[in-house]
Amino acid sequence: MAEMAGVAPATAAAAPDPDGFDGVRMTWNAWPRSKIEASKCVIPVAASIAPIRSFPDLVVLPYSPLRCKSPCSAVLNPFCRVDFPSKIWICPFCFSRNHFPQHYAAISETNVPGELYPQCSTVEYAGPPLVSGGGQSAAPMAPTPPPPIFLFILDTCVIEEELGFVKSAMRRAIGLLPENALVGLITYGTQVYLHELGFSDLSKLYVFRGTKDISKEQILDQLGLSAAGRSPAPGFPKGGMPQANGLHPAASVNRFLLPASDCEYTLNALLDELQTDQWPVEAGNRARRCTGVALSVAAGLLGACLPGTGARIIALVGGPCTEGPGMIVSKDLSEPVRSHKDLDKDAAPHYHKAVKFYDNLSKQLVNQGHVLDLFASALDQVGIAEMKVAIERTGGLVVLAESFGHPVFKDSFKRIFESGEQSLGLSFNGTHEIYCSKEIKIQGIIGPCTSLEKKGALCSDTVIGQGNTTAWKICGLDRSTCLTVFFDISPSERSNQSGIPNPQLYIQFLTNYQNPEGEIRLRVTTITRRWVEGSANTAELVDGFDQETAAVVLARYVTFKMEMEEEFDAMRYLDRSLIRICSRFGDYQKDDPNSFIINPNFSIFPQFIFNLRRSQFVQVFNNSPDETAYFRILLNRESIANSVVMIQPSLISYSFNAPPSPTLLDVASIAPDRILLLDAYFSIVIFHGTTIAQWRNMGYQNQPEHQAFALLLQAPHDDAQMIISDRFPVARLVVCDQHGSQARFLLAKLNPSATYNSAHDVAPGSDIIFTDDVSLQVFCEHLQRLAVQS
Amino acid sequence: MASSFPPGRPSGSRPGYYPPTTANPTPNPSLASSLPGAMQNLQIGRPPPASQLPPFLSGTPAAVSGGSRPGPPPEALPSRPQFQQPPVISNGPRFPTPASSREPLTSSISTQGSRVLPGSPSASSQANDMVPPTIYTSSFSAPASGIPMAPPSMVSGPSQLHSLMGAPPSQHLMGGRPSQNLMGGRPSQPLMGGPPSQPLMGGPPSQPLMGGAPSQPLMGVPPSQPVMGGPPSQPLMGGSPSQPLTGGPSSQLMMGVPPSQPLMGVPPSQPLMGGPSSQPYMGPPPMHQYSGLRQPLPTSGAAPPFGSPPAWQQQQPRPGVAPISSMVQAPPQMFGAPPSLLTQSMPPVPPVMGNSPLAGHHSSTPSKIDPDQIPRPMSSSSVIVFETRQGNQVNNPPPATSDFVVKDTGNCSPRLIRCTMNQIPCSGDLLSTSSMPLALLVQPLAIPNPAEEPIQVVDFGEIGPIRCSRCKGYINPFMKFVEQGKRFICNLCGHSNETPRDYFINLGPDGRRRDADERPELCRGTVEFVATKEYMVRDPMPAVFFFLVDVSMNAIRTGATAAACSAISQAIADLPEGPRTMAGIATFDSAIHFYNLKRALQQPLMLVVPDIQDVYTPLHTDLIVPVGECRQHLEQLLESIPSMFENNRVADSAFGAAIKAAFLALKPTGGKLLVFQSVLPSIGTGSLSSREAEGRTNVSSGEKEAHKLLQPADMTLKTMAIEFAEYQVCVDIFITTQAFVDIASVSVVPRTTGGQVYYYYPFSALSDTAKLYNDLRWNISRPQGFEAVMRVRCSQGLQVQEYSGNFCKRIPTDIDLPGIDCDKAIMVSFKHDDKFQEGTECAFQCALLYTTIYGQRRIRVSNLSLPCTSMLGNLFRSADLDSQFACFLRQAATGIPTSPLSQVREQIMNLCVNILHSYRKFCATVSSAGQLILPESLKLLPIYTLALCKSTGLRNDGRLDERSYWASHVASLSVSFAIPWVYPRMISIHDLTSKENNGSILSSTLPLSSEHLNDDGIYLLENGEDCLFFIGNMVNAEILQQIFGVTSVDGLPTQFVLQQYENTFSKILNDVVNEIRRQRCSFLRMRLCRKGDPSGQYARMMLFLSNMVDDKAPGGLSYVEFLVHVHRQIQTKMA
Repeated sequence: MAEMAGVAPATAAAAPDPDGFDGVRMTWNAWPRSKIEASKCVIPVAASIAPIRSFPDLVVLPYSPLRCKSPCSAVLNPFCRVDFPSKIWICPFCFSRNHFPQHYAAISETNVPGELYPQCSTVEYAGPPLVSGGGQSAAPMAPTPPPPIFLFILDTCVIEEELGFVKSAMRRAIGLLPENALVGLITYGTQVYLHELGFSDLSKLYVFRGTKDISKEQILDQLGLSAAGRSPAPGFPKGGMPQANGLHPAASVNRFLLPASDCEYTLNALLDELQTDQWPVEAGNRARRCTGVALSVAAGLLGACLPGTGARIIALVGGPCTEGPGMIVSKDLSEPVRSHKDLDKDAAPHYHKAVKFYDNLSKQLVNQGHVLDLFASALDQVGIAEMKVAIERTGGLVVLAESFGHPVFKDSFKRIFESGEQSLGLSFNGTHEIYCSKEIKIQGIIGPCTSLEKKGALCSDTVIGQGNTTAWKICGLDRSTCLTVFFDISPSERSNQSGIPNPQLYIQFLTNYQNPEGEIRLRVTTITRRWVEGSANTAELVDGFDQETAAVVLARYVTFKMEMEEEFDAMRYLDRSLIRICSRFGDYQKDDPNSFIINPNFSIFPQFIFNLRRSQFVQVFNNSPDETAYFRILLNRESIANSVVMIQPSLISYSFNAPPSPTLLDVASIAPDRILLLDAYFSIVIFHGTTIAQWRNMGYQNQPEHQAFALLLQAPHDDAQMIISDRFPVARLVVCDQHGSQARFLLAKLNPSATYNSAHDVAPGSDIIFTDDVSLQVFCEHLQRLAVQS
Repeated sequence: MASSFPPGRPSGSRPGYYPPTTANPTPNPSLASSLPGAMQNLQIGRPPPASQLPPFLSGTPAAVSGGSRPGPPPEALPSRPQFQQPPVISNGPRFPTPASSREPLTSSISTQGSRVLPGSPSASSQANDMVPPTIYTSSFSAPASGIPMAPPSMVSGPSQLHSLMGAPPSQHLMGGRPSQNLMGGRPSQPLMGGPPSQPLMGGPPSQPLMGGAPSQPLMGVPPSQPVMGGPPSQPLMGGSPSQPLTGGPSSQLMMGVPPSQPLMGVPPSQPLMGGPSSQPYMGPPPMHQYSGLRQPLPTSGAAPPFGSPPAWQQQQPRPGVAPISSMVQAPPQMFGAPPSLLTQSMPPVPPVMGNSPLAGHHSSTPSKIDPDQIPRPMSSSSVIVFETRQGNQVNNPPPATSDFVVKDTGNCSPRLIRCTMNQIPCSGDLLSTSSMPLALLVQPLAIPNPAEEPIQVVDFGEIGPIRCSRCKGYINPFMKFVEQGKRFICNLCGHSNETPRDYFINLGPDGRRRDADERPELCRGTVEFVATKEYMVRDPMPAVFFFLVDVSMNAIRTGATAAACSAISQAIADLPEGPRTMAGIATFDSAIHFYNLKRALQQPLMLVVPDIQDVYTPLHTDLIVPVGECRQHLEQLLESIPSMFENNRVADSAFGAAIKAAFLALKPTGGKLLVFQSVLPSIGTGSLSSREAEGRTNVSSGEKEAHKLLQPADMTLKTMAIEFAEYQVCVDIFITTQAFVDIASVSVVPRTTGGQVYYYYPFSALSDTAKLYNDLRWNISRPQGFEAVMRVRCSQGLQVQEYSGNFCKRIPTDIDLPGIDCDKAIMVSFKHDDKFQEGTECAFQCALLYTTIYGQRRIRVSNLSLPCTSMLGNLFRSADLDSQFACFLRQAATGIPTSPLSQVREQIMNLCVNILHSYRKFCATVSSAGQLILPESLKLLPIYTLALCKSTGLRNDGRLDERSYWASHVASLSVSFAIPWVYPRMISIHDLTSKENNGSILSSTLPLSSEHLNDDGIYLLENGEDCLFFIGNMVNAEILQQIFGVTSVDGLPTQFVLQQYENTFSKILNDVVNEIRRQRCSFLRMRLCRKGDPSGQYARMMLFLSNMVDDKAPGGLSYVEFLVHVHRQIQTKMA
């Protein structure tokens, strides 16, 4: 891994990007032409796209795109056929002929605009007028983009120590904020306190009761922002009526949201005096915490901002919501927070109400184009399972940690404010559109977005995720944001009749967003793939198979189904799918397991499935609903490469005998004189074999003559840091020794090739795993047997 | 008449005279002396000047005679002496005593009454004639002073009023009480005539001056005589005075009884009789006496006459010479109308008049009731020492408004509990016959006189106070220990209890416990028991003060917010430090702003509660913190609030929501919530509409519903208030406004929680800031208690009918008082459920369980044991005017929101009439139809009733808010403040430096009549709340300069702040004002009323004039007319 990480940047230009040249990876790069064939492929035809992934060669065009005539509206791209003499281009999607407008008059074969360069299948437009739909009627962009807004929500129902951690995290964050960013602060516990940072005479805050569900209108009314909020004038951040109800001359949301440079002192002073919630907590009760109302207030406040203003609600939550709307558990400590079992049995009394509340909240936020980020730091659950909908729909970030003092929180929190290389590239107000060839229908998207309900001919009848639309809202997106689009193949009569069927299919992805600098951009990615005719050309299909993507898409699809369909049996589905795919694409003689051979393109796929079956995505009962939700949110929004790691961790071994090298994710990899580095995405484990641990404990690394040992010890740490620094949320680093208690973090991920049942086979110094789970080897044997069954 | 005379005079005169005589003598002499110089006539009135009298008499008589008939006077004198003397004496003496001790008023009145009579007689035929018709205040047998009105006489005009003292006297005689004074006929007479009016004018003033000098009445008479010219008056004066004088005691007696007769007789007789008759009547003399005594009193005269001869002299001159001139002038000043009115009123009287031929005769001439002779309140400055029980007898307490020192000898101080009658009727029938209310006015924490012994605290330790096991009454001096002290019998329920072993002690030979005199609970009417745990549901609460300040646009712009903040800032400086005193603050407009005052914070933290439909408190702690910890923050905050909201443009006020939110903050502890409100609560919970405007538009459609606007708009605030009370939150509201705020609705909160409303309208930042501060300071620093529960128990035979005051009542027997302070009084009315035996006593016990400001839980137990009687006469004799009037007042306040004003006024007048009727019917032995007879003890009832009917609350022209405020103020008003509240005190300022006041700072009061206002005078009128300065437009520039620092009337500011300049005049004025402030426990709202002010202050002038109770006002009768009216009512009833 370490090497890979090191190599990747260098080879980026030359070698194909691990996430695909355009940030698009597909389960099948050659598409079966018919629906039947597609269903035989078992693995759905899907694309994983990273809409604004950064890459070095991106061409940015300082003008607006040229669009096909309505209703197609696709953007001019390298796959268009251009008739230079007559200044006409033909849209590959609808085959319409379009005249180039006047300002393209100079176009010729030797003088083509950037979007027509063959290698520029992905370009970004930075032109002033930006249009999401087909029309050219966009208003001119504001001369200065509205600054981003960061609205912090601090939970004060925490112990002193935790509050101290939060404060220091906040202070650091405030220091990192761009000067022009607007900042707001809400603290809450039993009640919600909205701080009016712009009030100079003394600290002033608005108090909202935690038990009452208040609508956006009420909030704006009570804050005296109603008129300002209704102001329709775009592009004038401080527009709106002079005052709402006469409350303050400058009755605008700017009372609450101040440029970071102006309120840094105020914020720091506030933090200095911030106390834990003072409302009494009765014995045997949980603290009264009204996360729901706090989020409502935040959303309501931001509702007063002009439409199109990018804003993040950054919630730092230290425990479950126990009061008011969105509560997930009652105050009574004798009532435990719901578990998966409770959810299964429908024994979680607050769950559905809470989900409904957060669902409404998410609708409001999406409507406003604002993002909810959640930083949950608690030993117990805080309700991510319920809040998931609001986070995911708005494209928010989520970090789950045990404590505000834990590096997972601290470093992750810090990262969202970092700029430059380390920047997450947090962007706002994305809208994503897809155009594709007529034979293709869109079933939907799994990932951090919301349907804009723009229905059209391209929508499939079957829906997966956010479907029934060709446009989606992504309130918050960043460089790693990744969406999974599911396609349906339904060749239309007409395309068949057109005579020469086009061997290529085309798909265009348009992402309109506001980049971290506040500029509005439109990124257009147009891709093409081959159709595979008939059922005979299996080889073509096999060649086009991307097993990593397939594994990840399958994982996303399965977890989605698990959430949506109560009766869905994920294990069975996965097993059947794997068997079917092996039957379909394997070479074997019927009923002879030993004859089974499969193309290298499929070779790791069973192992992925094996690990997926064991993963936290499918095996929920060892996790809380919050953890499950957390893992799944990340699974859905991360790149394929990262997602693969989540499903099947990577393991690197360090020893004196060999350079660091990837090793089998197997218990057999454990050796006394090795250090293992496990990257399970969410956690990174550095595992010292017994001998290494002994040496270390004896302090050899401190002796000059054993510098090699010191280096050996240090190497995995360096690599771990490298992984961590590149990852959001920051992974949890576990350093442990063989046979130590923390070693379970490693053992849980390893293939149990040696268990207490097979102890006699174990190599000396290695380890065993106390489990009844089958090992990969057994799993594969079964697979072979079943795949070849007639 | 005749018949009455004989009996009446002797007895009546005697009683009345006794005490007075002594006192009178001295004053009188002085008066006399002074008088002689000025007006002999006047002096005549006086009994004292035996020596003087003679001269006067001689002189006056002569004069009289000259005018009317000299002859008669002398006779009258001699004859009167016998009769009159007693009355006179009584009068004189009484007055003096009363004057000195209490208010001269009553006594004076009585005397006057008697004098009046004499006067009329003295007036000789002519004068008499005039006089006769006049009203007689009869001194009643008991203390009752009868104002004999001869309504008929009134009618007749000339004869107008022959009020005869005679009848009353007889009563007096009956009663045995000397005090009976007969106002009698002569006052009426003076009134009558057109001249009368003048006489009134002239007379009264002069009389006042005269002081005791009945002369004025005389004057009055004279005026009538005026026809006669000076003489008549003189004659009257002379005659009457002389008579009294001469008569000395005897004459007084005469007066007392005779007066009525005299009047009656006089008018008729006089005319008929001529001098002689009059003389026998004494009428004239009584008149004089009256005038002397009474007049002085009312005008200030009373006091002056006695106390201050000089005044007299001064005044006298006027009467004498000026009288006429003034007379003439007066009418116009008066309003001109009055006289005519009088005359008009007279006409109706005529029928009565018919009775008094004389009157009739004189009608042509001016026959009138002499306003100066009718009963008027008197001020007195001397301190009375009052023992609550003497020799196991109960004494009538001194008037509530007087200066007295109480010695608690078994009954509690009248400051704490005052009963409407100091003897309890044995049966309910007797009570209803009397028409008087039976009620206690309880002011449980009233401030004692510094000279009084402090209330003792008794700690029974663990066992707690000894109580009756049946009725739970507390041990008190009237519990009877029997069986060698092993048992004690409860004086309330009669249950025989076993004495706790620890408390046992043998009885002494006198049948009392041996330790009875050592144990406060056994020998004092009031003690405080230390409450045990049993009396607490929780630890005693700390003293919590939460301030809530309106910062809406109007409040800011008018300076109300700044005023409130500075007031709070200063006031908290006086709060005791220590952890038990806590404070908090919030402001509100359309949202509520709380402030976290925790010391650890660098600066206060402002917490806005924006949801005003459904409020909550923003913090659990730190909103209310110990004063010591937050003082700095609080001061800093108070300083910055006005500027912080400087540009606030929110015009709305969420008052209801704000108090609810503040309540939530106070809920855990309870405490006082002090709200500063400036505009109509317009939004949020409990918002109100501008009903006044709506009311105005609706008036056309239905005037009948107008009073509904004085009811709370809805139940929201009431419901909230009840919840407040439950959690021991007491709300005081300071309304600093310039518009309608619907006090009717808002006042429900303080009324239910034991708080009160302060009203500053129209608010002026310049002149009201100081008062706001002082009110607030007094509010939080005065003696007070928290989380109190009060119950009044009484002996079997009576039961509590109703409590009235500012409290919350959840169970029938107790009242809950989240806050109770030294100014709050609660009225408790009783009804009979059984009969008492004559000779037994009826006991009342008021137990107040409360927490002191220092966090001690105490039970203050006040006991009052009063004898029972089956004699109606005794009831009247023991009637307590002040408390009865307080009952009236509360009844009026209760009526305001429920009935049309006219009905309320009628109701109140009926109360008065019924009582007087009862007295007239059952107690007044002598009855001539033409006489208005007043019980001595209640002789001021008519004037107070009239004042009440003309008061802000019952006037037609009042604003809704003013009326509501009036009603809410009255609801908790103590007895001692009740009377000034409707019958303000007026004193002259321009002559402050030249007056001598017997060592008291305050000079004597003037009658509330515009004829006493001179163009070159400055007058101060105060009712305990407001203080109005009347500035004539011809005031000496030097005085203006000295007092106000301006050189001309036109230079007077509209917003007035009293300042002290470096001159004696200013110092004295400041002393006077400060003394009044001290007395009233109120800073007083100072306002200037300029006579002839062009525009702006016209309303203020009207305000000032509306306090001139004696005058005829557009909506009401003059005093004299009122007496006539009352008399007629009584007569109608009698018939």
